[in-house]
Amino acid sequence: MENLLSLAIFLPLLGSLLVAIVRKEKFSKFLSLGISSVVFLIVLYLFLNFDWSAQGFQYRTKVDWIPSLGISYHVGVDGMAISLLLMTSLVFVVAFLWSLKVEDRPNLYFALFLALETACLGVFSALDFFLFYLFWEGMLIPMYFIIGLWGHDRKVYAANKFFVYTFFGSIFLLLGLASIVVYGYIMTGKLSFDYLFHLSFSYPMILQTAAFLLFGLGFAVKIPMWPVHTWLPDAHVEAPTAGSVVLAAVLLKMGTFGFVRYSLPLFPDASKYFIPLIFFLSVVAIIYTAMMAIAQTHIKRLIAYSSISHMGVVTLGTFAMDLNALNGAIYMMVAHGLSSAALFMSAGFIYDRVHSYHMDDLGGLARYVPKLAVLFMISGLAGIGFPGLAGFVAEFLVFLGTYKNFPVWSFIAGVGVVLSAAYFLYMYKRVMFEEETISEYRLEKWRHLKDLEAHHILSFILIIASAFLLGLYPYPFIKVIEQTSRYVLGG
Amino acid sequence: MNWNVLIPELVLSLGILLVFVLDLFSDKKHYRALSILSALVPIASLISLLFVQYPAKALFDLFEVNALNLLGKAVLYMLTSLVLFSMHDYYKKKDSVYTELSYLPLLSTLGLSILVSSKNLLLLFVSLELASIGMYVMVSLLRGDVLSKEAGYKYLIIGSVGTSMLALGSVFYYASTGTLFFREYRDENSLFMLSMLLLLSALALKASAVPYHFWTPDAYEGAPTPITGYLSSVPKVALYFLLVQLLGYFYHLKQWLVLVALLSLLSMFYANFVAYAQRSVKRLLAYSTIAHAGYFLLGISTVDPYLQKALLFYVSLYAFASLGAFTLLSVLEKKPGFSHHMLDYRGLFKEHPVLASLLALFLFAFIGIPPMALFVGKLGLFMGLVNTLLLPLALAFVVASIISAGYYLRVIVSMFLEEGEKRFPPTKVSGGEALTLLLCSLFVVLLGIFPHLLYDLIRI
Repeated sequence: MENLLSLAIFLPLLGSLLVAIVRKEKFSKFLSLGISSVVFLIVLYLFLNFDWSAQGFQYRTKVDWIPSLGISYHVGVDGMAISLLLMTSLVFVVAFLWSLKVEDRPNLYFALFLALETACLGVFSALDFFLFYLFWEGMLIPMYFIIGLWGHDRKVYAANKFFVYTFFGSIFLLLGLASIVVYGYIMTGKLSFDYLFHLSFSYPMILQTAAFLLFGLGFAVKIPMWPVHTWLPDAHVEAPTAGSVVLAAVLLKMGTFGFVRYSLPLFPDASKYFIPLIFFLSVVAIIYTAMMAIAQTHIKRLIAYSSISHMGVVTLGTFAMDLNALNGAIYMMVAHGLSSAALFMSAGFIYDRVHSYHMDDLGGLARYVPKLAVLFMISGLAGIGFPGLAGFVAEFLVFLGTYKNFPVWSFIAGVGVVLSAAYFLYMYKRVMFEEETISEYRLEKWRHLKDLEAHHILSFILIIASAFLLGLYPYPFIKVIEQTSRYVLGG
Repeated sequence: MNWNVLIPELVLSLGILLVFVLDLFSDKKHYRALSILSALVPIASLISLLFVQYPAKALFDLFEVNALNLLGKAVLYMLTSLVLFSMHDYYKKKDSVYTELSYLPLLSTLGLSILVSSKNLLLLFVSLELASIGMYVMVSLLRGDVLSKEAGYKYLIIGSVGTSMLALGSVFYYASTGTLFFREYRDENSLFMLSMLLLLSALALKASAVPYHFWTPDAYEGAPTPITGYLSSVPKVALYFLLVQLLGYFYHLKQWLVLVALLSLLSMFYANFVAYAQRSVKRLLAYSTIAHAGYFLLGISTVDPYLQKALLFYVSLYAFASLGAFTLLSVLEKKPGFSHHMLDYRGLFKEHPVLASLLALFLFAFIGIPPMALFVGKLGLFMGLVNTLLLPLALAFVVASIISAGYYLRVIVSMFLEEGEKRFPPTKVSGGEALTLLLCSLFVVLLGIFPHLLYDLIRI
């Protein structure tokens, strides 16, 4: 059982090597899909067998790796990690399914995505700082090439911006990691990168403050929090559809995951001290980027801004120091993963068919692609937190919990929810309805527009069914997540 | 006389003599065989390391072997052998196959091998000169090429300044301590400090640290590319293995830290900024070497076992990555008309996916992206600096590393994400080059995943 987790993490990497060696298009596609499905099933099995009543990490494996530096291969999952692993493995199945018709250098494309999957699964499972950083940085190279090689017009600019921003954040994260490891060494004479070893320390306030800021900068860039968010709209706009899906659904969660896994338990006093700062940044992100979203005419850029806004809700809930809010924040990570994936798939599909992301070029699409119109609507509703879908439960819990301790902040942030309904419905109207904007020329071109194909529908079903499941029957998921929240909040 | 201590150097010397004699009696058509034979000589020395009993001293205590400098020698021999394996085809394409090719790198390596074992300034001087003179000639070996000659000349002139500084430093050292042997000397008189300044400057010049770096970009650019690979890897490893051992005699001086920090900060920031202005990838990598000299010098800013272990790990792996990168450049240079201008690298990935991927791998390694082994080195340096509470230096290291990412990325962008305008004839990778590239990339990746294989061998 313990080794199943490692198997799930490294199976995609193995697949990546196979794909790179064999270099057969069909083989690459179906092997990727097959491997990601097996990984999903393994994670599902682990999820179903997860003991949410027990404290701490489960399915742990620990093997000495670089003993002279106190580094070990140590993986394991708690409630938050297993939920994110489940979401991640599902999103990758969908990404591969969606990409079945990729024609441009498919072998490299699938090899990079498989490598990326290992990095993503690894980040959520690592219990050793070094291992964590290895996976954290491991996603950089595949994602860089995915944006740079398969992106749209300004792909090079976007890929570079993505790389430099993320690398900038990561180095500070590394410095933070190094500083607490060295502190542990000075205090105990034992050099160790082990997360659980460091969890038993209570660091002095000055170190907590410094390390919180160093870690925080790394996480903030990845989330991304305002004002270090500007790489995200560019990266999203230029990335290919599956790249955007993985970026929004999985990579952005690494930052918020980092806050819950590392910042809160390791630096509890500094976390409390910095609540006003984090709240300020979160609320600015929620409202400012929602307003930016309203101003967009490019659908992918709009969805990107909405992602930043939603991630603001996650950071708000994370630092509200309340069980419900933290549950909601973690729930939001999973829920946003699903809804943003569905939204980017919709946008990507529109681009594939119409070759434009601009609302002015799109009005009246609903008549020609009705299946997409329905699924796009559901995806959007999932995104804005419509009752019955996953986002609602998450937002409800976040605001409920935040309101208890910080009513004013909660109220201000709540405005963002209203704005999110505004920008989505406005966008939906302009893209799907407004038939009067269709010119004769466009009508002629669209008459034979092909609606969703089987692999698209299957992708949507997997995501949307999960969003409904999480929205209608949240109890078991909340229970699993709460296992982490209780522990993080010290109860 | 304890000959056992000198076995690797003796094997190397005999090998050089053998190659030299064979060279006298063989035709031009045998040069290929000769170059393979010369590449095997360092391997024989490498094997002979197993028979050295250490720790021990020889040559009236001028020469010392211990676990650390034997490891340094092992790395030196491996690198030299890889350089020799990779260079024959390049010279053939350049129509510049000369007899000296086979034994000059061996001579330099012999010098460097003695250098890491030096316990006395006299031996240090002689061995450094033996290494340097070989390198001056190697740099200017493309006789028909003006750039190569200019590079050799410049290297010779500036190198001589280094030699003078070393000589003067040795004189001051003798004047203050009464001996040329390295020994603990606690009296902080100004003569001793001056000798420290001059000795450090001379070694910093060889390590291409700012402000002694002026020869580096020109020599690197003008030298035959496999020789650039040699310059950027073999002497660097030897120097830092030596510096780590010398550190114990000087670090107690207050000025040591100030000087080293200054050299390192200047190198990191100057080189990382100037690298952005480069249009030639070969020159860009030369500036990257200068920046790395800055990173490496951080490792000798003060005595701390973690810091020095990390430094030696880092510099060894850097040497392999750097040799790999320059070998790749020399493979590409075999295309007629290929100039290393950034534009020539455009769209390389489409033409040569494997070569472009390997170069990207080495460049990512320079940035310090895991799982490449240079990341472990950078991490170790970070930790060492934080551990010794040199936080400003750690922070400067971080900032410099971030700055450097941009120019490496530009090369990667050119190769992968841009369309090529010029068309060059295809190039072939010779067996030797393939071996060098394969081993360098394997070391860089495998030792990133299993760093303890080397880390645990570095005993300080």
